[in-house]
Parts: sequence; structure tokens; C-alpha cells
Amino acid sequence: MTAVRARDWPKVDRSLLVLVGVLAALVLANGVIDQGFLSAAQLRNTLLVTVPLALIAGGQTLCMLTGGIDLSVAMTATAAAYVTGVRAADGTALAILEGLAVGLVIGLVNGVAIAVFRVNALIMTLGMSAILTGLLTVGSQTFLKGATRMPEFVRELGGGTIVGPIPWNLLVWLLLGGLLIFGLRRTGLGRLIYAIGGNRRAARLAGVRVASVEVAVYVACALLAAVAGILIGGRGGSVDLQLAGSYLLPSVAAAVIGGTSILGGSGGYTGTILGALILSVLDTMLNVLNVDEAVKQVLYGTIVLVLAWVYIRTSRARTGDR
Amino acid sequence: MQATTMAATGSMARRQAWTGATLLAFLLLVAVKAQSGGFDSFEIQTMVTSTLALGYLTLAQGVIVIGGGIDLSVGAQMVLFNCLSARLMEGRSFGTCLLIAAGATLAGALLGALTGLVIARSGVPDIIVTLATGFVWSGLALFVLPTPGGGTALEFQTLVLGSGTEFWPPLVGLAVPGLIIWYVLRRTSAGLGIYALGSDRQAAFLAGVPALRAQVTAYAIGGLLCALGGLAATAFTGGGDPRATAGMTATLTSVAAVVLGGIALTGGVGGLLGPVVAVWSLYLIPAIMLARGVDPAYGEAVKGVVIVLVVLIGGLLRRNGRKT
Repeated sequence: MTAVRARDWPKVDRSLLVLVGVLAALVLANGVIDQGFLSAAQLRNTLLVTVPLALIAGGQTLCMLTGGIDLSVAMTATAAAYVTGVRAADGTALAILEGLAVGLVIGLVNGVAIAVFRVNALIMTLGMSAILTGLLTVGSQTFLKGATRMPEFVRELGGGTIVGPIPWNLLVWLLLGGLLIFGLRRTGLGRLIYAIGGNRRAARLAGVRVASVEVAVYVACALLAAVAGILIGGRGGSVDLQLAGSYLLPSVAAAVIGGTSILGGSGGYTGTILGALILSVLDTMLNVLNVDEAVKQVLYGTIVLVLAWVYIRTSRARTGDR
Repeated sequence: MQATTMAATGSMARRQAWTGATLLAFLLLVAVKAQSGGFDSFEIQTMVTSTLALGYLTLAQGVIVIGGGIDLSVGAQMVLFNCLSARLMEGRSFGTCLLIAAGATLAGALLGALTGLVIARSGVPDIIVTLATGFVWSGLALFVLPTPGGGTALEFQTLVLGSGTEFWPPLVGLAVPGLIIWYVLRRTSAGLGIYALGSDRQAAFLAGVPALRAQVTAYAIGGLLCALGGLAATAFTGGGDPRATAGMTATLTSVAAVVLGGIALTGGVGGLLGPVVAVWSLYLIPAIMLARGVDPAYGEAVKGVVIVLVVLIGGLLRRNGRKT
């Protein structure tokens, strides 16, 4: 085990170095294009948009590590934020708890259906997305009617600044992100997640309670999405049904760019963080350049594809080394 | 030998049973619709024309999934060809429109082939590639047509959608490409290669199936059908709409319909009739709810529940079938 790990480390580092290089190049390019980019205010803005993406992509990474995927993260985030916003009158703490409870329930349903009833993860989470869309559309007219203004505390958390370029939401992310990295690398559950993704059958035969681990993964993913949703809602101040829709594809893209295999078993959160940073800086750059939305999308898609391609190439070369 | 034949017959029977069940569910929905809101030729025409584009997309997704892939950009491709054709066809004569349609179909096949080639050559998983190309296609759509607009010849609309309450033209428009592709899939070596690739990549490769050709063919057929979907959207709305959300919804529905229609997401299994019927069924659910006085916004939630339940029950049945 130790021997394997010793051989693994330098390889992981090399791919991550490539990502760090890409990120540095993008930041530099941004700095050259826009003198203001390296200012505290602009840095704060970049961090502010990165944090929710990094949280959602973290959950996505967990699911992908087991060989699954969660396409309901955007709607989960939206639903949690919506409930928090509508329930703001109950008091801040209760409202946030209710939002998180929504995430918990969604994660449980997803997890049980996927792990116990073996519904294909893609279909289950697509279905969940549709269910949440329907419920929220009707709910906003009936049982979730009311003002959707976020509580003061959430707005401060989602959009406020601690000091200089450091927004409050970074603190939330450092906490949860640190937990994720530690959990994946150093805890039994983390190793089991990799084991299931590597070979589900072998893991089961080795005595891993695959279903429990998978349920835990989808619950964690939904909770992370819920936290991200509440933060996004806090940043905007109020909530609507399109709140987090634009985070779905970037969450998958961030994990993939960061080197997590969609087939499961390899990757990690460190790469995903870099992926999320790269995507946010890229987004900022395209905004600063003031390019057409059309050109922006084309560039965005092309770069995601190229990065994924390069990553696969370099990791293949590594396999060749062995 | 006999065991394999029996197993093959068994899986065949199960597959036919699934298609049968899909048909039955559809007929049931039609019966309920007929009772609660009527189901005359006008209703049929509305159903077939408003789901025509989705029908093409579902066929596209079906062929690709049978080949062991998945395409999350079918909706974006539809939007792209919708915008492209609406922009080019505006104010043109019927003949020019037909030429444009033919060109668009060809371009669709080329785009699809390119996607297939990139997936095969890069080794990047299909979900990722099509996710990325989806961005590219919807970006191009915005470039071609920045705001909703464009147009088409009235005769072109009539040709695709039929006039009055005629529902044959759109039905034929869907059936003819469907049958041709069914023939290609089932009776030509390229098509059988797609099935072989989808059911077991390794085995197909060892058996000498040209994997690259099969994959590119599957995606090329998919691209062609997506272009037809875009043209159908142009005919249906009389213009183009570059907004990406419609494309995303369409993509998700196509995946759901493919699975409901009996194509296994693992590839290699399934036909083309089931998915199309599934699209119509998914259309009928909100229509029935509306006729029954239920808030149609619930339709989306009900759709989601139906999709999950069907896949769940199907999975359980399949597992039980394997045990006995």
C-alpha cells in the first residue's frame, strides 16, 4: 500500500502542475489584458464566483469518483436556496437548516435509488432535476409562496468581505473543501469511494458495503450543492428558479479538467479546485474582453475540450511510463 | 450453443416485451386523453407536429446510445440548425428552402461525424466531449442568429407539418428516416457494427469490427437527425430561437425517451420504435393533466417520477429475470 502510494504521488503532482501552469498563464493573461484584474476588488470577485462552483464541483467529484454523476446539483442548489429565502421569516438559523434539509432529502432519494435500486445515476438525477423543476414551479405559486429575500446573515456570508480580497464565502469553502480533501485522502470512507469507483464488484467482494457508501456520497453531494445554492442566493440577495442552472455543466467540466475520471476511481478534489479556478478566471477573462456571448460560449467549449484532451494525453503518457 | 440461442431468444423476447409495454402505456395514455379531452385528428396533428423535433432528437440519441455512446449536445445541435435554417430561409422561395434544408442535413451529418471522430481519437469520454461541443454549437447558434427571428417559406412549413388537421406529413417525415436508419442498423455491416460496438467494445474489436467507422457512423447519423430536428423546429415555429435552455431541455428529454423506449444506456440493446412512442407518451402526460384541470406545471414533476419509476421497475424485472 505504501509502496503504491509512493509511486503515485509524483505522478499526481505532475498533472496538477500542468493545471497550475494553465491557471498561472490565464491569470497572467488576465493581468495583462486588464490592469485591474490583480487588484483586491477583482480578486475578491473572482473568489466570490469560484466558491459556489468549487463546492458544487466538489460534490460532483465525489459522485464521479464512484463512477456515477449527479445532474441534479443545479436544481438542488436552487431548491435549497429557494426554501431558505422563503423561510427567512422563521429566523436565519432555521431557514438555513430547512434549506440544508432539502439537500439532505434530495441526496437521500438519489442515493437510495442509485445504490439500492440500481437506477442509472444519469437517469435518476435527470429525473430528480425534472421533479424539482416541477415542484418548484408549482411551489412558488402555492406552498412556497412569499418573498424570497435572503436573511441578512446569508447575504453577508454569500457576498460580504472579511478583509481586503477575502470574501466570507471563502471561509465556508476552506472549511468544507478542507474536509473533503482530508476525507478523501485520509479516512476509510474516502478510500472506499475510490475502491468502489475502481472496481465496484471487487469492492463488494472485499466486504465493502457499497450501497451505504454510495448513499453517503450522493447525500454529501446534495448537501454541498445546497450550501453552494444558499451562498449563491446570498450573493444575489434574492432567489429565483434560474438561480444555479448555469452551474451544472461547469461543475462537471471543473471535475474533468481537474483530472477526475468520469468512469470513477481516479482523481481528487485538489484537481477539481484548480479546474474551478481555471473556469472562473477564464469566464472573467472573456467578460473583461467584452466578447460576444456567442464567441464566449464557443471559446469556453473549445477550451474545456482541449484541456480534457491534454489531460487524457498526459495521463496516458504516464501510463506508458510504467 | 443451444444455451446461447436460448439466451438470445430470451433477451429478444424481453426486448419485444419492453417495446410492447411502451406501446401499451402509450395506448392507455391515448385512451385517457380521448376520455378527458378528446383525441381527434387535430389532437394527433398537434401531438405529432409539436414533438417532431424531439422525435428526431430521440432517434439521434437512440442510434448513438445503441453504439455505446451518449450525446449531451443533441439539443444544442438542433438549436444551431434551427437558427441557421431560419436565418437562411427568411424571405426565400420554396425551392431555395428545400436546397437549404438538404444542405443543413448534410452539414449535420458532417458535424456528427466530426464529434464521433474526436471522441474516438481523443479518448476523452463521450459525455465530456459532447458537453463541450454543446457549448460550441449553442455559441455558434447565437452567432448565426443573436436574437429570436428569421423565417421560412410557408410551403416548407406545410410540407413538414401538413395543412389543416392532416397528420400524415409529419408522421411520414418521422417514419421515413426512421425506417431507413432502422434498415441501416439492422441490415448493413456498418449498422451491425454499431450494435456490436455498443454491446461489447472489446469483443467487437477482437471480432474485427472497425470500431472507428462504427462510432463515426453512429454520430454522423445522430448529427443528420439533429439537423432534421432543427429544420422541424424551424417549420414548427416559423423562425429560429438561439436560446440554449430549449436545447438543454430537449437533450434531457431525448435521453429519458431513449431509456423509456427500451434502449439500454450501456449500449447494444434496443430499437427505434419504442423511443418515439415514449416521446409521444411524455407529451401526453402534461396534456392529460391540463385536460383534467391539474396545474400543468406539475407535469414536469410527474414526468420525472415516471422516468425514474419506469427505469427502476425495468431494472428490478431484468434482475429477477436473470436470477431465474
